[in-house]
Amino acid sequence: MVKIIMLLSISMLSLLGNEKLINSELERDCLKCHKDQSIPSEVIYRRYLMKYSSKETIREMMLAYLKAPSVEMSIMPPQFFSKFPIKEVSQPKEEVLRKRIDDYIDYFDINKKLFIPAEKN
Amino acid sequence: MYRSEKRSLYRFLTIYLLSTFILFSLGSSIFYAYEKHHLLDRQRELLKHEGERIRHQLMLLHKQFGEKLPFPVKKPYESALLDTDRQLIFSTFILPSNIDFSQEYSIKNGNLFLVKSIEPYHLGVVYIVVQMPINAEGITDLKHLILLFMLGAGFFFLIVGYFLGRLFTAPMRESIEMMNSFIQDTTHELNTPISTILTNLELIETLHSCNAKKEMQRIEIASKTLSRIYDDLTYLKLHHNYHRDIQSINLSKLLKERLLYFSAAIEVKGIVLVDTIAPDVILEIDRDDALRLIDNLISNAIKYNKMGGALEVLLTAKEFKIKDGGIGIEEKELQTIFERFKRANKSEGGFGIGLNIVYQLVRTYDFDITIRSTLHQGTEVTVLW
Repeated sequence: MVKIIMLLSISMLSLLGNEKLINSELERDCLKCHKDQSIPSEVIYRRYLMKYSSKETIREMMLAYLKAPSVEMSIMPPQFFSKFPIKEVSQPKEEVLRKRIDDYIDYFDINKKLFIPAEKN
Repeated sequence: MYRSEKRSLYRFLTIYLLSTFILFSLGSSIFYAYEKHHLLDRQRELLKHEGERIRHQLMLLHKQFGEKLPFPVKKPYESALLDTDRQLIFSTFILPSNIDFSQEYSIKNGNLFLVKSIEPYHLGVVYIVVQMPINAEGITDLKHLILLFMLGAGFFFLIVGYFLGRLFTAPMRESIEMMNSFIQDTTHELNTPISTILTNLELIETLHSCNAKKEMQRIEIASKTLSRIYDDLTYLKLHHNYHRDIQSINLSKLLKERLLYFSAAIEVKGIVLVDTIAPDVILEIDRDDALRLIDNLISNAIKYNKMGGALEVLLTAKEFKIKDGGIGIEEKELQTIFERFKRANKSEGGFGIGLNIVYQLVRTYDFDITIRSTLHQGTEVTVLW
């Protein structure tokens, strides 16, 4: 019984640790730069949502932009780039890029944000 | 109320009520469809407002885009948000898999659905599906109202129909009453002279020797024919509702007596009688009814027989059969031969009431009757019990 509880605890801790690792990777590779340069990543995601709606399409469009960033490929309007610099070409492998995009989408996931408020008496 | 009058009234009422019912059913179904559509329209309008409210709320939430976004829930509505791939983003209920996104409104499992597509896609939402239960109470009330109306109208038209029917059958009733009155008067006037003739004939035959035997025989036949007609008319006048004294009747004996009674007529026409009468056939029947049944069939067989024709009479424990070698009846006439005042052949006298009386008797005693006839060859009547 003690063994089972210990095994479960270790599994839970490793899962939590892994999640934190994912978030920290996203923080390190993506969000940090956005914060440092005051580039509003939330606004960018909202624009993606408003234009493409489905996660699958957003994923593909983000990947396309990250691979070859340009004003035309960007979801943001051209005026945006007069204030903020355009992103450099991403070096990581596509696999890693996809992973970060998934984390990014997960970070802003609408499904997780939406909730049913408790009824007022 | 006379039987034929009652029958006509029932027929009239059936046609009248049926046509009224069809007309009202049609009207009620149109009214029901219209009102139901109206009820659903009101609910569709509510759904539309709710869809618009959710769209507005989504726009505000999209602008806020906070850590937590409270979904705008409002009872009794249930809603779901879907993206462009129709993947569920959020839902307050289990969305049916067979929702038709090409239709704005649809009805499934007693619920009304609105599919609202929005643009731009605030929070990535392309479709808002709003569901609300159909106002079954309103529809049930509507059904009850229609049912109540139909019952009320049915009752009203039944009463109206009854009085209309009575008006409709009034000329028939008057005619029947007139005919009955005529029969009553005629039969009353016929009874005494017929009885006098028959009694005096018997007296002449018994007490005096008469040279005009043949003429006497003819008078006897004519008087007996008149007597039978009198009996039949009396039977019709009483509408067969007189008291019946059901008793065990020796039909074999009675049949022999009646054949003897008609012997003069048989002899005059030179008819060859072949009778096969089983002894002591007993039947539970009123004596007068048995007489009427036998007399009418024998009388017809004699009347419509050829000169020197054959007459076969058969009586067993199960049936009474009489077959003549007479003029026969056409096949198309056989269908209506039992109708009152129906005379398949007008070459002979009579009122056409004989077979109708036979038919009434057969029905009264739950017997079976069959008639087989070949034109110019003869007729065979079988009564089974």
